[in-house]
Amino acid sequence: MSDKDTASINRNRAVDVALLVYIVLGYAFVFAPIAASFVFSFNSDRFPSIPLGHFSLEWYQAVAGDPLVWQGLRNTLFVGVTVGVIATALGFGAAYTDYRYRFFGKQVYLALALIPPTIPVVILGLAMLAYLSRISLSGNALSVIIAHVVICAPFAMAIIRLRLSQMDPDLEAAAWNLGASEWAAMRHVIVPFAKPAIFGALFITMAVSFDEFAIAWFVSGLNETLPVKVLGFLQGQVSPRINAIGTFVFVTSMTLVILAQILLTGRGAKDRPASDE
Amino acid sequence: MRRPLSLYGLTFSLPLLVWQVLFFVFPLVFLVALSFWTVKNFRMQPDFDGVNWATMYGRAVFWQAYGTTFALAAAASVLVSVLAFPCSYAISFKLSDTARSWAVFLMVIPFFTSYLVRVYSWQIFLSDAGIVNVMLGWVGLGPYTLLNTVGATMIGYLTLTFPLVVLLQLFSLVFIDRTLIEAAHNLRCGRLRTVFAVIIPSARVGLVIAALFAFILSFGDFVSPIYLGGGDPTTLSILITDTTKSGQQWPRAAVIALTMIGTLLAVAFAAVRFAYKGRTK
Amino acid sequence: MNKNALVSFEGVVKRFGEFVAVQRMDFEIGKGEFLAIMGSSGCGKTTTLRMLAGLEAPSEGVIRLSGKPINDLPTWSRDTPMVWQSLALFPFLNVIENVEFALKMRGVGKAERRRRAEQWLDRMQISEFAGRNISQLSGGQRQRVALARSLVVEPEILLLDEPLSALDAALKVRMQSVLKNLQRETGITFVYVTHSQSEAFSMADRVVIMSRGKIEQIGTPQEIYRTPRTRFVANFLGSSNIFTGNVVETGDGRATLETPMGAFGLVSSEQSTRALMGRTATLTVLDTKTNLSRTMPTGRVNAVPVRMIGEEFIGATATIYLETGDGHEIRVQKSHEELASLPLQIGQELVAYWNEEDGHLVPEE
Repeated sequence: MSDKDTASINRNRAVDVALLVYIVLGYAFVFAPIAASFVFSFNSDRFPSIPLGHFSLEWYQAVAGDPLVWQGLRNTLFVGVTVGVIATALGFGAAYTDYRYRFFGKQVYLALALIPPTIPVVILGLAMLAYLSRISLSGNALSVIIAHVVICAPFAMAIIRLRLSQMDPDLEAAAWNLGASEWAAMRHVIVPFAKPAIFGALFITMAVSFDEFAIAWFVSGLNETLPVKVLGFLQGQVSPRINAIGTFVFVTSMTLVILAQILLTGRGAKDRPASDE
Repeated sequence: MRRPLSLYGLTFSLPLLVWQVLFFVFPLVFLVALSFWTVKNFRMQPDFDGVNWATMYGRAVFWQAYGTTFALAAAASVLVSVLAFPCSYAISFKLSDTARSWAVFLMVIPFFTSYLVRVYSWQIFLSDAGIVNVMLGWVGLGPYTLLNTVGATMIGYLTLTFPLVVLLQLFSLVFIDRTLIEAAHNLRCGRLRTVFAVIIPSARVGLVIAALFAFILSFGDFVSPIYLGGGDPTTLSILITDTTKSGQQWPRAAVIALTMIGTLLAVAFAAVRFAYKGRTK
Repeated sequence: MNKNALVSFEGVVKRFGEFVAVQRMDFEIGKGEFLAIMGSSGCGKTTTLRMLAGLEAPSEGVIRLSGKPINDLPTWSRDTPMVWQSLALFPFLNVIENVEFALKMRGVGKAERRRRAEQWLDRMQISEFAGRNISQLSGGQRQRVALARSLVVEPEILLLDEPLSALDAALKVRMQSVLKNLQRETGITFVYVTHSQSEAFSMADRVVIMSRGKIEQIGTPQEIYRTPRTRFVANFLGSSNIFTGNVVETGDGRATLETPMGAFGLVSSEQSTRALMGRTATLTVLDTKTNLSRTMPTGRVNAVPVRMIGEEFIGATATIYLETGDGHEIRVQKSHEELASLPLQIGQELVAYWNEEDGHLVPEE
């Protein structure tokens, strides 16, 4: 209410300043590795440290000249886009189910829809590897897609569910009342309303898939995605390339996230269904 | 809206259910079956034999790794909770609304940067001729061995968990009824004391859940212990990756994985019990 | 300063940025007094209370408690316990732990703490809920816990911020008598903020009426009711008929208020009348002191012809709504017996009148 005025009696300037400094330190810790990776991706040194060497694009060139990296990037993009589409479709269905229906065993349904990301990736990776190789689906891009959809669908579900909860619960019923069938109401009311969240979920799940390396490492076999390639570099100590790839992936992911953010807050903020049909 | 599931409804409900049963539940169930299989001449065969459990549980190295992993994850979750709390506290109570939403936005960014890249970046900071040692050298200290230590593993765990823990703590702190804090002050509770007597109890559920997530993430992470901790001491996750990727000892890896899941379930259950202790809502 | 005063506000101003929440405020609260601060929302009454509790700092002026300035004292160093509108009970503590809280903060030992808390639970008749969670209590029970929590330290003063607003009407009335008895028995000074006239008037020894950050009137409920000192107060209480006009001196040393409805005689000896001579002013007449008749009355009365437009019955009294020729509304409140002789039908022509000495002149704002 009146933080500034109350400050004079119930707050202590020294404490406030110390806390602000602490916030800055916290963010410094979080962003130090991100910033360093960015800076050193343009640095010539083989073993990066300070003082900085001279500006150089050699690591980008090295990465760009590596056919395996290109292969990895193609795999990543293919996997990411496919995962995004499937996970968003599944997540939408689950979000709508939770929004609209009550049924016996719904708790179990929701648990299945939300728990996977909390299982450690090593365990999930191992389980996927063992299971998928048993049913002869391991060692290719398809196996990565299957595994990534499992952990991405919950994110899509959460994002779209949040949007649906902002919808007037009578909206759908009103559409029925005006003669729309369930399918028509879905197409003309629910989907347009949830559209920003659907695209948001699409981009977020793509970004999650782009960054996931552990499960992909277990199940991908020879069809390595880019993050798995990075894991390989990390083992092989041919390191500064990681910075170049990391910066590239960061820029890509952030573009997707910001796009999602714009969609979720920009048009999403309006509390009525978009009527672009 | 209470309606029976129709074809229409099933079209939306079923796909996720089918997918998660096929590719989430089945793999985990298969993991259980796998742990009873046997390996003969480097080939796995379906079986129902407790030999893998007996072998793994009979090894000192397994229990050592278990103890190490548990201790490291517990230490990480306590450490990150303690370090994150002043930060989330300050963000929720000392920042303006605008500054707070920026703070939240910035804290989300790390989720979309590669954890691997950040871990590699810490190598740049911590190696013998790395940034930290160079800076220490300026003031006449060091060089110290920073990389390949337990401390470096901890930094990795913090990198992994700090943003999530701050966000989860923040989420429970911003919803605290401000009048409770006023009421505490009004009843002679000083600033610092209010933090412990009112704010922490009010946010307990969120704080415990945040610590739980930190534990789960650290417990399962294999990147930091290998690439920052140097693989020594061995953790369960390292044991799993080694056992899986070298040779056909998947059934034994399954034993480790199932032990981890059991542990995590127990910890999660205890944490949730503790979080809601004494609450009837 | 009055030596019986427990609290004094001296030239206190509170600004939030550009907005002035409380304009220069000077008043005192006596020891053992039940003071109600009343006004509509946004009038500054809650801000006043929060300044006293140390939850807001005054922008100007001094607040004294027992003679000592407390402006710079943080809220936890004052003994000004408050009961919040939301009650602000700690949901993570059970009933008795809530009540013990303030004692714990003072370093009172565990056994002593428990004993004193139990005493208060007993006194508030909620002993049986000692181990319950707050969420398991009804509204009235929570109210009692909140009171016990604040009173357990036996303070000199208790601040209450619309504590009854969440209760239903019947419970409200019961809690009013609980509060009033509690205040009488303990002798603790109560400062009670409310927007409800019935709460303020039924409990308080004195009432402060505020509007737009300013004190309009301070006085006992009777004083305020009988002689509202500003047009705002008369309007706010809704119990007076109000006429606006010019105060004019007539030849014989008497004064009248000239209004579009005619000239009304004033009690010229009253100080307010002399002070307002020649200016625009407002005349207030209680609706219970306004009478009705079929014909023009005689004697030193003011009368105005009216037409009946409606009626309303509450218990033993009836309120008759009337309108003058130019659309000015007039109300008359009487018992059914007093009205029995009149032909009360909508549209009926009547005469409203009152004795000169029942009219009170206040300055026009």
